[in-house]
Amino acid sequence: MASTEELLEAYAEWRTRSNANPRLTKMVRGWDRVIHFTTIDTGQAFTMRIEGQQLSELAVGHEGQPDVVVTGISEDFCDMFWGDLNPSEKYMSGEITLLGSQQDVMRIDAISMVAFLDS
Amino acid sequence: MTDAAATLSSRATLRRALGLRTVVTTSTGLAFAALEYLAAAGLVVYVAGDSAWIPIIVAGGLALVAYGFFGELNGMFPTAAAIRLYMKRAMDDRVALTITFTYLTTIILVIASDAFIVGRALAHAFGEPAWVASIWIVGLLAIAVVTNLRGITVAGLLQDAATSVVIVATLVVGILALVRSGHGLHTPLQPLHGHHPGDFLQAVALGVFLYSAFEWVTTSAEEVRKPRSINRGMLIAIAILCVVCAVATVAMSHTLSHHELTSAYPQLYLGIAALGHSGLWVMAAVTAVTALNTFNGGFITASRFIYGTAREGSLPRQLAQLNARAVPWVPVVVLGGLSAVVALLVALTHAWEVLVAVGAALEGMIYAVAGFCALRLRSREPDLPRPFRVRGLGVLGPVGIGLFGLLAVLASVSVQDKFDPAPLVIILVAGALSAFYVLRILPGIREREAARQAARPRRRPGR
Repeated sequence: MASTEELLEAYAEWRTRSNANPRLTKMVRGWDRVIHFTTIDTGQAFTMRIEGQQLSELAVGHEGQPDVVVTGISEDFCDMFWGDLNPSEKYMSGEITLLGSQQDVMRIDAISMVAFLDS
Repeated sequence: MTDAAATLSSRATLRRALGLRTVVTTSTGLAFAALEYLAAAGLVVYVAGDSAWIPIIVAGGLALVAYGFFGELNGMFPTAAAIRLYMKRAMDDRVALTITFTYLTTIILVIASDAFIVGRALAHAFGEPAWVASIWIVGLLAIAVVTNLRGITVAGLLQDAATSVVIVATLVVGILALVRSGHGLHTPLQPLHGHHPGDFLQAVALGVFLYSAFEWVTTSAEEVRKPRSINRGMLIAIAILCVVCAVATVAMSHTLSHHELTSAYPQLYLGIAALGHSGLWVMAAVTAVTALNTFNGGFITASRFIYGTAREGSLPRQLAQLNARAVPWVPVVVLGGLSAVVALLVALTHAWEVLVAVGAALEGMIYAVAGFCALRLRSREPDLPRPFRVRGLGVLGPVGIGLFGLLAVLASVSVQDKFDPAPLVIILVAGALSAFYVLRILPGIREREAARQAARPRRRPGR
């Protein structure tokens, strides 16, 4: 199980890479969204915002009304943020679940893919 | 809070979520493609007089069985990736992938046939020669590809309006055509009069095709406000399709000549029978609107599925490339290209009845597969939560699998009311190509991907 500190550290790394990636910033142009993360093994809750083509810091707890809700186990989130795990494999096996419109889900996947492939 | 309660709570707070109305119109709109009119006209030749409504009602009953299968599976796996999840848990993954790729053929066929039908209908309405339809076809598909590549999708409200227009217009035109004919129905209760019982089964197979794709709405399971909306929406969509298709088909059998029924645009003749020359324009416009739903739903469903499968590592990585608008551009372009080729081939060969038969057979096949998966998972994963549980699946499952399998076989060897193995050959070729890919090419792709991932340095500290 990954602790809150481990998840925050992993996310900070992901955020730095994502915000510095010109392809990704172009991909999220005009796409301001609130994303909730929930871990089912540890019951942790986090909120990520995308505003002005930039990923925000990860806030502990659920804040605001989400556009997308991502649920999974803490270890998978940690590996995903580090770019060590292809989240699509977990999604296609049902271990990561998503709620939200197909277009929003595609963008989330795009962010995670860029982090995964470009790392 | 339990996981299920947490999920429900999350759905309730989503900023954008689909309600029951949009689920109903999505399910109905996906099923009601332009090909619907040709399938309805094709069904008429298998039964006597104006009794076409009977096989449509029977097919509606079978669609309810399929609804039960998909309802249970969707309840267990409420995700756009559901088909991958339940198939690989119910059977060998190689078999699951072969069936899935073969089934993808249906989506290409529906997109292609809609492009062809709309192209032919518009060319006819404008009084242009048949070859001009090819320009319409390429133009329509090009527009569909470009709008998809730009990430433009039909919003829920527009989709609600488009589907409502198609359904209401078809129903009104059908009723008006019947009323204006000025004479009573011919043998409305004797479908077998002068026909073989096998003909009736063929009519039911085509009838099942009239409902096909209603289940594609399950890919919206992640977007709905209430999970049960998907099942309720499918049920309401089946009822709507049953009424509209029954009225339109009986109206066609009652008012159109054999030549008109076997044309590429029987719905235009139905419009003329109902409203005179202005009816032609009404139905030409309605036909064009059906394409909006098909192109929007078909391209999105298929391209996102191909993308997800490529991301999972079961298709070449090139298919997972995204453009600047986060659209999987390679699948969209490939789908558009393949659909254009198929549509132009149909325009050249005038073999649209073959497309109808292939689609009917593949739908029968996938409904049988869904029944198998629902049944198999009862024994393999008995403890998986089932918010929707089909009663009597032990009996309904095998009966449904047998019936859908039989209808698939019958539909695959008959075009119009004559024996023709062309649909079966097309399905076998598609199946063989899928199996060749899964058995011979995919292992290499997976090996290379595994080696690539193994060579990647782990970024997470201490791992």
